[in-house]
Amino acid sequence: MNYYFKSAVTSAFLLGTLTVNAQDLSRKIPADAMAVMTIKGNNFLELMSAEEFNNTFIGKEMFSKLAKEQNNNYNSVEDFGFNLSSSFYYYNQTNDSVSYNCFLAPVKNLAQLDKVFEQSGKKFSINGKQRTFFNADSSKIMRWNDEMLLMVLADGRSAYFDRPEIRERFGMSAIEVPQAAVYADTAATVTDAVDVTAVATAGDEVMDASEVIVEEPKPRARSKKKSSHAAKSRKTKLKGKKSAKKSYKKKPVKAQPAEEVYMDAAEAAASAAVDSAAAVVDTAYAYYDDKNSPYYKDKRAKTAVVARWTVKMIDNAFTGNDQNSILKNADFTKNIDQKAEATIWVAGVEKLGNAFIPSTTYLKDFNFLSGYGTANAKLYLEEKSIRISSAMTFSEEMGSVLRKVHQRKLNKAFLKYVNEDKLIGYMAYSMDTKSYLQEYPKLVSKIYGSLYSDEIGMATDLFSLVLDEEAISKVIKGDGIFIFNGLSQKEVSYKSYDYNEENFETTEVMKTKKETLPDFLAMISTEDTRLINKLIAYGVKKEVVKSKNSYYEVTIPKSPLALYFTIKDGIIFLGTNATEMEQIVSNTYQAKVSGRHKSALLGNNYAAYFSPKRLAGKIPAEELGSPAKIEKANKTLNSLGDIYIRSYPMNGNTFAGEISMDTPADQKNSLKYLFSVIENLK
Amino acid sequence: MIKRNLGYFILILLVCVFSSCFQIIEEINVAANGSGTVNLTVNLSASKTKVASIMLLDSVNGYKVPSKQKIQKEMDEVVAYLKNSPGISNVKKTVDLENYIASVSFAFKNISNINNVNQNVLKKMKIKAVSNSSYSYSPETNTFQRNYAHTKEALTEYNKLKPEVKNVFKEASYTSIYRFEKPVSTCSNPLAKVSRTKKAVMLNTGMLGLINGKTNISNKIILSK
Repeated sequence: MNYYFKSAVTSAFLLGTLTVNAQDLSRKIPADAMAVMTIKGNNFLELMSAEEFNNTFIGKEMFSKLAKEQNNNYNSVEDFGFNLSSSFYYYNQTNDSVSYNCFLAPVKNLAQLDKVFEQSGKKFSINGKQRTFFNADSSKIMRWNDEMLLMVLADGRSAYFDRPEIRERFGMSAIEVPQAAVYADTAATVTDAVDVTAVATAGDEVMDASEVIVEEPKPRARSKKKSSHAAKSRKTKLKGKKSAKKSYKKKPVKAQPAEEVYMDAAEAAASAAVDSAAAVVDTAYAYYDDKNSPYYKDKRAKTAVVARWTVKMIDNAFTGNDQNSILKNADFTKNIDQKAEATIWVAGVEKLGNAFIPSTTYLKDFNFLSGYGTANAKLYLEEKSIRISSAMTFSEEMGSVLRKVHQRKLNKAFLKYVNEDKLIGYMAYSMDTKSYLQEYPKLVSKIYGSLYSDEIGMATDLFSLVLDEEAISKVIKGDGIFIFNGLSQKEVSYKSYDYNEENFETTEVMKTKKETLPDFLAMISTEDTRLINKLIAYGVKKEVVKSKNSYYEVTIPKSPLALYFTIKDGIIFLGTNATEMEQIVSNTYQAKVSGRHKSALLGNNYAAYFSPKRLAGKIPAEELGSPAKIEKANKTLNSLGDIYIRSYPMNGNTFAGEISMDTPADQKNSLKYLFSVIENLK
Repeated sequence: MIKRNLGYFILILLVCVFSSCFQIIEEINVAANGSGTVNLTVNLSASKTKVASIMLLDSVNGYKVPSKQKIQKEMDEVVAYLKNSPGISNVKKTVDLENYIASVSFAFKNISNINNVNQNVLKKMKIKAVSNSSYSYSPETNTFQRNYAHTKEALTEYNKLKPEVKNVFKEASYTSIYRFEKPVSTCSNPLAKVSRTKKAVMLNTGMLGLINGKTNISNKIILSK
């Protein structure tokens, strides 16, 4: 089953729809979803038809695996019964007590989907057009009809279920009490509660799963359960009473391993109608371990409660009026780009962080993600490139800090020393050192503020007092570029031993080997060179720096890597190539920068570029090993397009960036190209 | 501060860039009466560029880097320990910090004297002994024996290492040379090579095989009468 769903999700990834049509299921996503992933099936189908996908290596592999694992013979992704030209969704809904991971898929052919379940031996219940499937312990519940399939994986939050009053309410043992004592206590209450567990007497039928019913402090609960694997195991029923007393009744019969159990949806609905639901809980673990231990009893109780909530949540999705859907969230609708093949949207990074960072005593007063708002990432498979754009919105306070820090632009003079024909890649950044030093303490105090406000206040004041932000920002202005020109090899000698054949007498010999070294040039802007000049003078005196008239060489003991540096026109240069340094100081450096690189470098705070093609053939054979490996590495590098990473200027409080890879000129379809690259990697 | 950071940047670059490997050489000369000499060498020369860079750092990959003084001091401790060991004499050490080669040599009255010593010396040189090893020589039967048993602990310890550190062992080698006064008539280990004079046996193998137990360096050498 798992594999089936994985395959479905995979195919959803690769194929699927868009267009805001009647079947778009986003209206089913609750408004309080913390994160939503959208996969536009239609956009994928435009790039690759279902038939084309079936014939890709991924498609073929998927079908052969399914055939092997489930004895099913699928020939097409269309056989699963999903509407591949509609949108598929994943969303997470989390509150203080439970976290739901939900997968929402559009259904095209109900009969086909039913068949998929039937063929894999998964029993489900039918209620009109609705079908419901429960896995063994009800931690995975699926419901579908002729419009959609919703799979929910629910997980009870331990922080909630560890609270004493909650444990008491759901009839779980108290945590503080030693386990033995708890066990004795529960045993004692069993006799007390025999009358309430009368429901459990399903004749002589024995079930392979224990059923746990937890009643809400409201009307009476009525629940029934059918099991296809009846007459096999045992049944345990628990009824939480209003008094919050625990009651366990055990009917020990020959135990059998638990298998898939399902619940009749009609009955579930009926139970739900009286504000109660039944859930089936796996006894697999109880079978293999001490089934009566308080640990497993608690686990069963917890799973039952969570399963009941999940059923209710699913009921809402199927019968609700969709009034309170995510479509009411302007940030979500604004960030769904119809052109993007896939989108991930996060309601609030701070919110998400707070929901999942464990609230231990040590962490609870720190707010690492303070000021982080909504975020999103989008995947575009375009004709000329594959790109992922991402954006994060910050609070006004944080946004203003980032705007100040990012107000500096890259030094234009750097471009005089960039030759794009020679380089393999670069990384450039620009931020304002002065603003950074001034604003950094504020950020720190925001993170640690609530706990150590006095200490942090003093520390940040001291920081400002000791550091002269203005003076530092003159020495290191905050922008720089690192240009990677390739790899070179240098011979190094080392001592080893030779052994004569006569008597294996050892003689010391000098041998040589090749070391692979990076070839680079780095530039940093500076205004005030007095400190650096003093450092150079000191270095020369201590003989770690050698003056070469207009530039310097750093002497690193025993290192074959030569490093040169110089300061010119407010730029500190550090590089591995002496000729290049000479050209820089004599103004004879031949620069070449195209418009694309120029705008990437000067228009953004962060820019990086890497050309895998140019690296191909330049990695020394010694680093890769066998000729087959070298060939494969070069083939892969040659098949990849140029990669660009860039940030965009701050827009209000939103900081955005993009990573893209050009598709080679002969590849017109990004998706097919991507498949070919992955296939080559195999 | 800036200089320091720049310095670190360069150092980290160097540490990442250079390849590394090392060799351990163990030479034992056994006289007919069972006495003899041992020479243990650890040679890091092939990775001296890397070691030189590492020596400039306080710690690398979470391991503390010893200073030159500390290395000298530890070698002195090794010598002092050997001098006090029964049956051991004429202890000498050489430390070449230019090429990163350290060696210890000493004489023994009987081969059994070195059984514990080798393990302890390696331990003192901060090298985790990878095996349970013992030597024996019987002048009566003219049999020299090295018993070696792989310990699972070696592999467990190795698996705990970080991947970057594991790489160091991939190309590391171990060489043992045993020399005798009489010619060798049989030698049980197929990995071992007998010299032209038949009076020496050499075994050269990778460290990794010793760590994971794939290589066995046990050897039973019978000398001709």
